[in-house]
Amino acid sequence: MRLRRVFFSLNEQEHMNRRTTGTEDRRELQMARSMCWHCQSEMAGEYFCDRCVKVQPVSKDLDYFTCFGLPRRLAIDPQTLETKFYELSRAFHPDFYQNKSDAEQTISLDNSAMLNTAYRTLRDPIQRAEYLLDLEAGSVKEIRTTPPADLFEEILELQDTLDEFRASDRASDNASTLRTKLQADRATLEQRQQDMDAQLQQLFGRWDALQDRGEATEQARAERASILKSMRDLLSNRTYVKNIVNDLVATIA
Amino acid sequence: MAYSEKVVDHFNNPRNMGSFKKEEDGVGTGIVGAPECGDVMKLQIKVENETIVDAKFKTFGCGSAIASSSLATEWLKGKTVEEAGRIKNTDIVQELNLPPVKIHCSVLAEDAIKAALADYQKKADPK
Repeated sequence: MRLRRVFFSLNEQEHMNRRTTGTEDRRELQMARSMCWHCQSEMAGEYFCDRCVKVQPVSKDLDYFTCFGLPRRLAIDPQTLETKFYELSRAFHPDFYQNKSDAEQTISLDNSAMLNTAYRTLRDPIQRAEYLLDLEAGSVKEIRTTPPADLFEEILELQDTLDEFRASDRASDNASTLRTKLQADRATLEQRQQDMDAQLQQLFGRWDALQDRGEATEQARAERASILKSMRDLLSNRTYVKNIVNDLVATIA
Repeated sequence: MAYSEKVVDHFNNPRNMGSFKKEEDGVGTGIVGAPECGDVMKLQIKVENETIVDAKFKTFGCGSAIASSSLATEWLKGKTVEEAGRIKNTDIVQELNLPPVKIHCSVLAEDAIKAALADYQKKADPK
């Protein structure tokens, strides 16, 4: 048992250092307990007990990247993610536990719920980045962000026009002039969104490159923090613009 | 949680709502916002002989943000530029009895004052 634990930690180490490309057949995850809840035998991270073959609860602290055996990178091959997701789904899906004990059914449900959330989060590039920011929150200092002033000017003007449009008689000439103006504003904002997405992509690339180099120098730490901060600012502005565009679209619809 | 009476009063009877022409002499404009809550705030001052003779605001946001900027314009009138720079968000919090979750609205108002003052100074003394 002891031997196997050593092996596991080596395996983990290797896993941390090396970029994982394919799926692995390791049937191990970060689990909630180090002992099987059923037969009390010692566990080293397997999600099925070696002795009694009962399913084990995954740890609540398990981060989604680790869950899928992925490093904390922002470029994820969707195929790899999907394959791993299906593999884990097959292990935990409640359908396979219908004839099992209540305890096993509960574990299956909890594990599956966690797995689904993890998959949904990592599948979407924006949610993935937001999740990464949460994970790395400790390394970003809480500095209040200063979004571009011209963005607010644009939005203030837009809000003015929106107000005017809402108050106008929809059949009037004024309303149709305002509508044309709003449509132009919408195009401007959507252009902004695209620019922000491009900037985000670039940041994702820089983050991944930094992760791959795996340096622990002061300079690398500083770059790490700066990338995370820029990423957070961009994501927050992006959501802001997105909400405004939604509002705009709903108003002129 | 209910808004304090003062917030409700400023919300229902906003003081100094409106705007000046940005290009006008002696006018300083500050536009700030918070992407997190979606609020945008425009605060303008009109300065004659280093004294703020008039102030206007326009805010799209929650009641506290509107009240904070409305109160700010009231306070700004009659102050010198130097005095105006000393208005702190905590003064606004105290006056309006803002709950902790709404403190960022007062921060926004302070930022708007600072931005308007900076804009005025930049226009008055272009380098």
